Amino acid sequence: MVVVLRLENNIRKFRFEHGEISQQDLANAVGVTRLTIHSIETGKFNPSTLLALKIAAYFNVNFEDLFFLENDDEVL
Amino acid sequence: MKKIFQSLKTINLALGFLSILLFLFDAFVFFRLQPKMESFEQLTRFEQPLFTIVGFGLLILLVFYLLSCLQLIRFIKQMETIKPAHVILIVASVIALLIVFADVALLSDIHKQFRHGLNQPEWLLVYPLMAYQFLVAIILLFFNFSGKWHTSSTETIARDINVFLIVQYVGAIFSLMGLTLMSLGFFFSKSWNFSIHTLISGVIFLLPYGLALTYWVITKIREKDRQWFDEKQQHDLGKSALLTLIGVTFLMIILFLFNLKNLTGVISLNWFPFYLFGVLFVFSCGNLFYSSRG
Repeated sequence: MVVVLRLENNIRKFRFEHGEISQQDLANAVGVTRLTIHSIETGKFNPSTLLALKIAAYFNVNFEDLFFLENDDEVL
Repeated sequence: MKKIFQSLKTINLALGFLSILLFLFDAFVFFRLQPKMESFEQLTRFEQPLFTIVGFGLLILLVFYLLSCLQLIRFIKQMETIKPAHVILIVASVIALLIVFADVALLSDIHKQFRHGLNQPEWLLVYPLMAYQFLVAIILLFFNFSGKWHTSSTETIARDINVFLIVQYVGAIFSLMGLTLMSLGFFFSKSWNFSIHTLISGVIFLLPYGLALTYWVITKIREKDRQWFDEKQQHDLGKSALLTLIGVTFLMIILFLFNLKNLTGVISLNWFPFYLFGVLFVFSCGNLFYSSRG
C-alpha cells in the first residue's frame, strides 16, 4: 500500500487575517503572477521552497503554519 | 504615460465617429459607382477621385482598430479574469483590422478591372466585409463611448499574466486559421498560388500574433523586476513545449504519409508554414490549458 501525501496550505486564511489582501497584492509582494498564487491556493501547483518561504516571510509566520502535508486517498 | 493614454482615448473616440461617417460615405460611393463600373460607363470628374478618398478612409479605419485593440488589451490587463466576451471582441477587432488589407486589395482589383474593361465579381465580397467591419466599429465605439473600458482599478500589477494569456488566445485562434488555410492547399492544389496563398496569407495570419507578442514584450520591459516568467509559467511552458514536440511530430508524420506519392506537389511549398502554424497552435493551446489547470 502506498500513502500519497498532498501539499496543502493556509494562504487563503492568512490573506484574510492580514487585512483581506488580494491575490494580486500577495503576488506583487513575492514577485509572481496572480494566477500562480491562485494555483498554489487551490492546490493545483506546488511552489518551490524559495517561493514558499517568501510567502511565509510575507505573512511573518513559520513555514509549517502555512504549508502542511495531508494524506491523500490510499492507493493499492 | 497616463496622459498619453488619456489622449489616445480621446483620439480613438474621434476616430471611431469618423470611421462611422466614412462607412456611410463608402456606402454612398459604392452604391453610386458599382452600377456604372459594372456597365463600363464613363465616370464623371466628381466620381473619379472617390475611390482614392475611400482608400484614405481605410487608413483611418486601420488606426481606429489598432488603437481599440490597444485600449482593450490595456483594460484586460487590469482585470482579475479574462472573460470569453473579451477574447471574442479582441479576435473580432483583429479580423476587422486584417480585412482592411483585403478591402484595399479588392478595391484596387475592381478599379484595375474596370480600367481594362473586365467584369468585377469582387463587388460581391466588398459589401459583406464592409458590413462586418461596420458592426465591429459600432461595438468598439459603443464600449469606448460608454466608458466600460475605462478601468477604475488602481491595483498595481507587478507581474503581468493577462497579456501573456491574450497572446496565447491570439496565437491559438490565428494559427488555427493559418493551419486551415494551408490545409486547403492539399485539396485545391491546382489553383494554389505560392505567393498569394502561402506567403502573403501566411504573413497576414502571423501578423496579429506578432503584434500581441510585441505588446507583451513591451509590457515585460516596463516591469521593474524584469523576469520573463515566474516559476509556474516556466513549468507550464516546459509542459507545453513537450506537448508541442509530440503533437507537431505526429502532425508532420501524418502530413508526410498523406503526401508520400506527391512530395513534389503543394507540400513542397506548404510544409514550412504548416509546421510553423502547427507549432504555434499546439504551444498556445498547451499554455492556455496548463495555465488554467495548474
